[in-house]
Amino acid sequence: MPAFLARAPAAPRDYAACSGCSLCLLVCPMWRGSHDPRLTPEGLAKGLQSGATVRELAAPIVACSLCGACDPVCPERIDLSGLIMDLRLRSANSLPPNSPQPAVIVELSARLHQAAGAAPAAGVVSRSAPVLLPGPELRADPALLARVQALLGLAVFDDDGADIALALELGVEIPQQRLHGFLDSLRGHTIVAADGLLLRQLRRWLPGSQRMGLGPALSTRAAVRSNLVPSDLYVIEPRAFHGDYERMVGYYDRLQRETGCSLSLDLQRIAIPAASSGLAQKLGLAAGDDVQAKWMLQGRKPARIVVESLADRAAFERVCDLPVVHLAELGEDPQMMQKFRHAFG
Amino acid sequence: MKLFPVEPGTVGPCPVAPDALQGIKRQQTNPARWNGAGWQDFVAALGNAGVELAEGTVACGVYATDAGGTAYGMPHGVVIARSAGQISLLLKAAQSHRVPVTVRGGGLTTEGESVAFGGVLLDMTGMSRVLQIDAAALTVRTEAGIYWHSLAEELRRENLDYLSAPLNLTSSVGGTLGVGGIDVNSARLGCSADQALSLQVVTPTGEIVECSDSENPELFQRVILGYGQFGIITAATLRVRPYTPLAMRYFYYSSLRTAIEDLQMLDANDASDYSGILTIMDCAVNLLVAFDSDEREAVFHANWKSRLRGYGEFGFALCMAGHYALRPWKFREALYLLQRKREVFPEFRRPEYMRDGKMHDRSVVFSRAVWKHWGSRQMVIPDLATSADKFIEAVERGNAVCRKYFAHYTLYCVGIKLRPEHQPHYEMSCIPPDAEGWAYGCEFEPMIEGGVYSRDHFQAFKNAIYDIGVDLGASYYRFGGMMKGYIRRVFGDALVDRHLAMKRRADPAMILNRDVIF
Repeated sequence: MPAFLARAPAAPRDYAACSGCSLCLLVCPMWRGSHDPRLTPEGLAKGLQSGATVRELAAPIVACSLCGACDPVCPERIDLSGLIMDLRLRSANSLPPNSPQPAVIVELSARLHQAAGAAPAAGVVSRSAPVLLPGPELRADPALLARVQALLGLAVFDDDGADIALALELGVEIPQQRLHGFLDSLRGHTIVAADGLLLRQLRRWLPGSQRMGLGPALSTRAAVRSNLVPSDLYVIEPRAFHGDYERMVGYYDRLQRETGCSLSLDLQRIAIPAASSGLAQKLGLAAGDDVQAKWMLQGRKPARIVVESLADRAAFERVCDLPVVHLAELGEDPQMMQKFRHAFG
Repeated sequence: MKLFPVEPGTVGPCPVAPDALQGIKRQQTNPARWNGAGWQDFVAALGNAGVELAEGTVACGVYATDAGGTAYGMPHGVVIARSAGQISLLLKAAQSHRVPVTVRGGGLTTEGESVAFGGVLLDMTGMSRVLQIDAAALTVRTEAGIYWHSLAEELRRENLDYLSAPLNLTSSVGGTLGVGGIDVNSARLGCSADQALSLQVVTPTGEIVECSDSENPELFQRVILGYGQFGIITAATLRVRPYTPLAMRYFYYSSLRTAIEDLQMLDANDASDYSGILTIMDCAVNLLVAFDSDEREAVFHANWKSRLRGYGEFGFALCMAGHYALRPWKFREALYLLQRKREVFPEFRRPEYMRDGKMHDRSVVFSRAVWKHWGSRQMVIPDLATSADKFIEAVERGNAVCRKYFAHYTLYCVGIKLRPEHQPHYEMSCIPPDAEGWAYGCEFEPMIEGGVYSRDHFQAFKNAIYDIGVDLGASYYRFGGMMKGYIRRVFGDALVDRHLAMKRRADPAMILNRDVIF
């Protein structure tokens, strides 16, 4: 077949390709909260096209929740959330030396450099065995973590890259030694990650690896899947979903057909982020809002809300009286994931 | 080069390369920029009135161009619409300081109509709330800056849908009502502007007025399909309907004429709920037909399907294989068709939008496909709207122009059911004056495909299409359609002068969307 007839995935493009179609704006939680086009990926791209500096664009760079909803809808294939992460990094690097930094960032930088100098974690898990990167929220709930492990039959990886995930979020430089050490320890493993942003980056950093989010990993389990019912509202973790959109949209479509549950998708089949928080919220400088969670429930009458992410559970518990359960709480299955690879390719 | 001052309401000489493209008639379509006189006083007046105005690169850069991407201009400042009261204050200040106000919704114009060449740009998308859904009366009251997609999202939570809207997610309700709005069900339901029951309008002098066919009907007639000349639509009450997925069927033709004849036959007999033509050049002509219910489709199969002269997908593929086998020198064209088919067809069959053979959320499916496969940083989409009997000639002549100017292009044709009681709305609009029963529209969209074309090339192409409209006594639809330079040639001085006089009375300082038509 002639090369030009093959449908190979095209490389992402940069902001200069933005045509101003506004499709990203429709799915953007910043837009939903503000109705201000400056606080959108399109506003950022157009600002850059017009010659705005990183400092002038601070408001949208800070406000973005990195949910990644804009990435799959962009017809020009611009890596918008990658652009925003890059701008966050440049924004931090453009600060004058000795300028005051939030304590969270200072502490994180110290942790990253300490980890970069430390020896790699001992290999407690054999190569090629699936591993779980639970992230700090799941680690903070040992009972739920144990249930996830029992369902998936996975060992928890000691180094789950929580510091790297936070650095991506906050725009903190990751020492190369730390990053390479982390990636080397993961090579050869099938990875299940709870943090969608980390999973998105692992897809780029380890392109040949087998990876999946916690939600798809759990929802392939019969014990979990069989307990999803049509009256459930299933809330998808948006970052992992958007980071691997073409595969995930098909997966969740099949899940919906099989179980009848409704999904937290909009008409564009984009996952609405329930707990949307920008940089200021992550740094503890501002309170989050529940606009997205309320919007997700508007006009819907689920009997139960099922979440993949603990942050989403907290958001729904604030805005409604409905039972909110984590996916892992739907069933207990002591079997190992024998069909893991077959179920998910 | 000497630039001559242009008085609002007049058409100035073309300041660009007057000796270029000899033999092709040209008139100015990009207006002279307002020179900023009195801007600081105006800013101070807005500040005193409590109207927030944003200036600077970040605020204004978002609005540097429109979907067309050929007209570039920057406003002096931007106001994001928040309420009718705020807009009233803005327009009152603009009248007294003679500052132009350019109103923008989705920015989907192609001739720079929503680009501000100085003055204030008013971004209506700040007013995007749905105010009330009346499921019993099947109406919705919404702020007019809302995108049709956002409106659809809210209506779907009530299992409702709008009647007809552009197949583009980011058209705004207010902008669409001001220009027309065409859907693939317009042959049955009329244009989007026909779905408006009443409007809240801020007049160019700042009065907030409710209008409808029974309340302030003169204003209603001028604002609907009025290209934003007589007021800013801030809220609208629209008819809605129960949501239904649709069953889509495709028929393929190698002749534009035959496909159009079949389209018009279906429309005239109310044989389908949706109909339209989408082409790959004039080689593969796709007549799409769709239905809201199994009953309607069954009637179509029983009575009308056998009368269509198009092929199914497999039959057409065989037909094309034979055609190109006999014309091997056209192998590049055949490869292009094959490539286009491979790229575009799957978009209309994505499994997440299909249930039991029916398409859900057609506007999303179409709009994403449109932006992905037809969109680019430059979109040149001249169009023609004619009466039914002139349509085939218009399309065939336009097709010849496309062939002359571009290697690849697409044609998109739909019918528009006219409502006799709305005749006053249609005056000097996209609806051609001689159309009865149905008007028909065709967009001529070259595929830019990363190619580099000069502005003169684009302009000459557009002029060649628009000249067909002048010759046939047609009009132009969608995207703000009418170029300033063509309005007098199309509608004649008497009608345009009458509307200009109305405009001068309504907008004494000629501040509102001043460069769009007059």
